[in-house]
Amino acid sequence: MYDFLQQIWPTLWPTLAAIGVILAFVPVLGLYMTFIERKLAAYVQDRLGPNRVGPFGLLQAIADAIKLFLKEQVIPDHVFKLLYFIAPTLSLMTAMFALVVMPFGPVPTDYTSGFRYIVAPGIDIGIMMMIAISSLSAYGIILGGWASNNKYSLYGAIRSCAQFISYEIPLGLSIIGIVVAAGSLNIEHIVAAQGGDFWNWNIFWQPLALIVFFTSALAETNRLPFDLPECEQELVGGFHTEYGGIKFVLFFLAEYTHVVTVSFLTALLFFGGWHFPGLSGPVDAGLGGMLLRTFVLVAKVSMVVAFIMLLRWALPRFRFDQLMGLAWKGLIPLGLVNLVCVAVVFTFDLPKHLLSFTAVFLFVASLISARNLQSTINMPRSAGRPKAGSILSEVTV
Amino acid sequence: MDYQFTEPTWQLGMITPIVLGALAYLLLQHGVLAKSKQLMAAGVISFCGAIVFAIGFAPSTMESVMLMCFCSIATAGGISFLVAREPVYAALGFATAVLSTCGIMFMQSALFLAAATMIVYAGATIIIFLFVLMFAQQTQLRTYDVQLTHPVVAAAIGAVLLITITMCVTGAKGIKLASPDASRPYSGAVLPEDLRSSAAIDFLKTQPIESMSVPGTTAGLGRSLYTDYLIAVELAGAVLLVATIGAIALAQRPAENLS
Repeated sequence: MYDFLQQIWPTLWPTLAAIGVILAFVPVLGLYMTFIERKLAAYVQDRLGPNRVGPFGLLQAIADAIKLFLKEQVIPDHVFKLLYFIAPTLSLMTAMFALVVMPFGPVPTDYTSGFRYIVAPGIDIGIMMMIAISSLSAYGIILGGWASNNKYSLYGAIRSCAQFISYEIPLGLSIIGIVVAAGSLNIEHIVAAQGGDFWNWNIFWQPLALIVFFTSALAETNRLPFDLPECEQELVGGFHTEYGGIKFVLFFLAEYTHVVTVSFLTALLFFGGWHFPGLSGPVDAGLGGMLLRTFVLVAKVSMVVAFIMLLRWALPRFRFDQLMGLAWKGLIPLGLVNLVCVAVVFTFDLPKHLLSFTAVFLFVASLISARNLQSTINMPRSAGRPKAGSILSEVTV
Repeated sequence: MDYQFTEPTWQLGMITPIVLGALAYLLLQHGVLAKSKQLMAAGVISFCGAIVFAIGFAPSTMESVMLMCFCSIATAGGISFLVAREPVYAALGFATAVLSTCGIMFMQSALFLAAATMIVYAGATIIIFLFVLMFAQQTQLRTYDVQLTHPVVAAAIGAVLLITITMCVTGAKGIKLASPDASRPYSGAVLPEDLRSSAAIDFLKTQPIESMSVPGTTAGLGRSLYTDYLIAVELAGAVLLVATIGAIALAQRPAENLS
């Protein structure tokens, strides 16, 4: 046994260390993201935000955590107990499980020894694995909503079902172009393909894919423009109405973990990962270079996180038909158009930066939708009704 | 990669548990229906015998222990799918079975297959099931839902099917691995780095067919799918397209139903 351990130790300890990093950081990150979100919200709304506990209110997050942990565990009479307790843990479990294949720092090209900033390096299907696992994250919300055994929670769960299934399609479509260019589903390879020149970052030749990816990934996090499963004004809180204390925290830890995952994916897939002008090339530097690259990646990620948080105060919530219309009539066609353009460019060996013109399609799409909106507003009420014949024609925007 | 076990004991160890399991199933079924404790006890004993037999003949490596864990979880999920009173629990049992099957695929390095199964079945299909089940009324199950019509036939067919599969997979005259056709340029064989260079293709053509193994990578799988199995993939795509059009046609509601 000892010999066996000694034999596998060089590959075991980096894995354990990476798991440790994730296990340690997710709760802390969750706590402090609530704090940052409150501060940002306060600045947006011209308030001060939490500033009483500790310097600049920094200990507010800890105080909140203690409060939530010490709350009484209220268990309503009418819930289905087993699923009621499983749902929040399932939610957090799937959210954290997706981090297994996500690099949180520069993955060294030779990952057989030393710390490697990822739990499972060299997984052949990295990005697909992430999509597969995050597609399971609907279970937590759905089961939570169903087990709560009340109408509003069930409505939240059903909305969440429809939303998850719809937005998975554009999410998958949007990354195919990048996968084609990198020739691999492995996230490390995709990042490596963006090395070298600054203009190699995927955003400069896949702007349309970025928009489609970011929108649909945001929808999968249940954040504000897309938070119909939990909208307070219509559903009292949706799927988490019956949850309090630590069970509620688990749901929201999962949501913040999703936000972090989405930000990491956006930074890794579109913004060059740990590459930066003057800091590109293969990852073989010493400790300093590694730390610098980690810093670059984390800085990009925090910018995306801040953007997501600001988005919350910039966009109102969608109506449900608008939500479905955006996925089925907006993002999926745009994703398909992008896919066709990528296929054409790579088949005829054209320079791939021609593809930056796919951004034009965004304006075309917005023009079409604006025209539709205009005609709906100007039309008399009876004419503006949806035509029979298509299930999708109920959507007017 | 030694796929071909021919030792007779191994096959005995595979077939006996299947027969015992089928027997246990029948005994339990009859025992529950007739409310006879002797029959149920005999069924449980037979089931335990099947498990002991299977464990006794299986190799006791780390891998097979993990395999057995996944298999038992999958079986438990399948059983709960069949016997659950609440449809939601049945769907969850199905999800458990699918996910643990994905675990087995991961163990066999079939990563792409595992991820695709997770997305398609666990991520989409079962969630749609749940979607429908949530709307379904929570009433008592009908009697025809819980009663089997032909348990003996079902058990016999199941046992024969399982025995056939094990014979096919493990026997000496079993299924052979398909060897890719090296005469075609992009066949699913291990290729040198640059796919587009003709030198690589020329190099490939000089290689003997024995050296071409089906590669375990996702890239190799893709290459194999779009060369060796191109017609099957195209046909599947056509069928899916037809199904999509059919779904849209079926989903159209008559005009008077729209309020």
